[in-house]
Amino acid sequence: MSWAAVAKKDFKDALRSRAIWAISVVFILLSVVIAYIYGSFSADELGVEGGITAEGLVFFLASNITLFVSITALVIAYKSIAGERESGSLKILLSLPHTRRDVLVGKILGRGAVLAIPVVVALAIGAAVGSALIGAVAVQALLALLVVSLLFTFAYVSVIVGLSAMTESTTRASMLTIGFFVLFEFLWGIVSVGIVWASNGFSIPNTFPDWIFVVNQVPPSGAYTTFLYALVPGQTGNAADIDAFYGTPWLGAVVLLFWLAVPAAIGYWRFSKADL
Amino acid sequence: MAAIDVSGVTKQFGGVTALQNLDLTVEEGEVFGFLGPNGAGKSTTIDILLDHVRPTAGSARVFGMDAHDQSVAVRERTGVLPEGYGPLGQMTARTHVEFALQAKGADGDPIALLDRVGIAEVSDRRVVDFSKGMKQRLMLAMALAGEPELLILDEPTTGLDPNGARAMRRIVQEEADRGATVFFSSHILEQVEAVCDRVGILNQGHLAAVDTIDGLREAAGATGQVQVTMDTIPESLVGTIEGLDGVTSVSITDGTLTAGCDNRAKGAVVHHCYEAGTVEDVETSETSLEDLFVSYTGGGA
Repeated sequence: MSWAAVAKKDFKDALRSRAIWAISVVFILLSVVIAYIYGSFSADELGVEGGITAEGLVFFLASNITLFVSITALVIAYKSIAGERESGSLKILLSLPHTRRDVLVGKILGRGAVLAIPVVVALAIGAAVGSALIGAVAVQALLALLVVSLLFTFAYVSVIVGLSAMTESTTRASMLTIGFFVLFEFLWGIVSVGIVWASNGFSIPNTFPDWIFVVNQVPPSGAYTTFLYALVPGQTGNAADIDAFYGTPWLGAVVLLFWLAVPAAIGYWRFSKADL
Repeated sequence: MAAIDVSGVTKQFGGVTALQNLDLTVEEGEVFGFLGPNGAGKSTTIDILLDHVRPTAGSARVFGMDAHDQSVAVRERTGVLPEGYGPLGQMTARTHVEFALQAKGADGDPIALLDRVGIAEVSDRRVVDFSKGMKQRLMLAMALAGEPELLILDEPTTGLDPNGARAMRRIVQEEADRGATVFFSSHILEQVEAVCDRVGILNQGHLAAVDTIDGLREAAGATGQVQVTMDTIPESLVGTIEGLDGVTSVSITDGTLTAGCDNRAKGAVVHHCYEAGTVEDVETSETSLEDLFVSYTGGGA
């Protein structure tokens, strides 16, 4: 199948990138260090509630992942389509019987797979180190971490590829993707407060409304953490405090699926209409 | 069935009209040369056939299939040497050809294809390290993968040395002998002249002329010329030559009489000159494609 051929080609190409190897090695080492720290100190020394547990290890490892995945996804995927248009390699791809959809899907899968490998390796090693030190393994929680992390990885790559598909200029692609990252990973706190402030008649209320929970799930990293709470037994996170229908950690899953599907669809729509 | 059928195609990019109501038909098995000055719209036409660009108006069909709606089916039967391409990542020449074979669902030996275009020795070198000519040869090898029914070649001799250009012409002829239709665009006339059955001249988005090369010559009014250099040219000779059957024009420059005429009249022209005085030299030639091209495209921009 055509998208598989494109995916394979992209996978092999992305593997060659030294930047990815470097970032991956750093990430794996960091995960090991984090796991080691978590397993070696007491809860008071770390400032962690509820003691050192195998489940706690999962959340500790998770904290490392969002930043790594988001930055690396940006690096390996921002030029995935815009760059091929600029360099002319898209001309070759589309002179062969591939559809533009094959190209888009193939790149999401190929580059997603390249990013998934260090994520899985880092989680596996970190989990092994941490579990050995703690003396307990939370199998279900670790599996949950794996599943949610893979979903997050592919969702993020899908967003970046989708953004890359919207333009023929790598400069604009880098602006779009960096802009996305900055807005949703750094500025979102301000944005969500701003939304509350604006809807409250331009003043900050004493207690924040419940729906700010929804606003805070919008960035992929927010949704990631929330969804993790849904899958780890015995945890519910912030959602527990909310009474409305959306007060569920499964909202995180919905948001991640949104990020997986929607920007790529929009990018494809623009890409499919464009003149090369 | 026509291999290529372009009907009323207009393409505008912003304020620029690249193609204006273009009608063009290429029959199966033909070798068709698509000529035109830079910016005439040749690559745009090819882009439309491959669905890289969508026409503003009109339609294009390849083997009866719509170039946009059935583009994948079109490209399954077509081998393309595009213009403005770039290598696929860090892949080697061999893996490029393998990629093309796999895309076409064809069995074939990548090395045999690379050998045919003359770059078998560098099959495992990365294409990003190739010279321009080597890349062009690789693109041709990829276009030939799977023995497509239609070959679309956009400026195929770009970057090729004379050996490469000659090899390209030989390959085009071999493909035509195999029964493929070949559609290639060029502004290098000798290449076109050597292999094409018919030629279309595109100028500023319009098809200025389309015919066999001989047909174009006839339409232009002369198929050849004779230049006779004489010791002295009697005044009456001009009138005599002009009156001959098949002679369209006579002019004299510095002791040389130049007569534009049909090939059959050349002998008569020389004969009358010989009768009228002392002939020092005789040269005959065909109206060059370059002259035709220039006359159809208004002297170039």
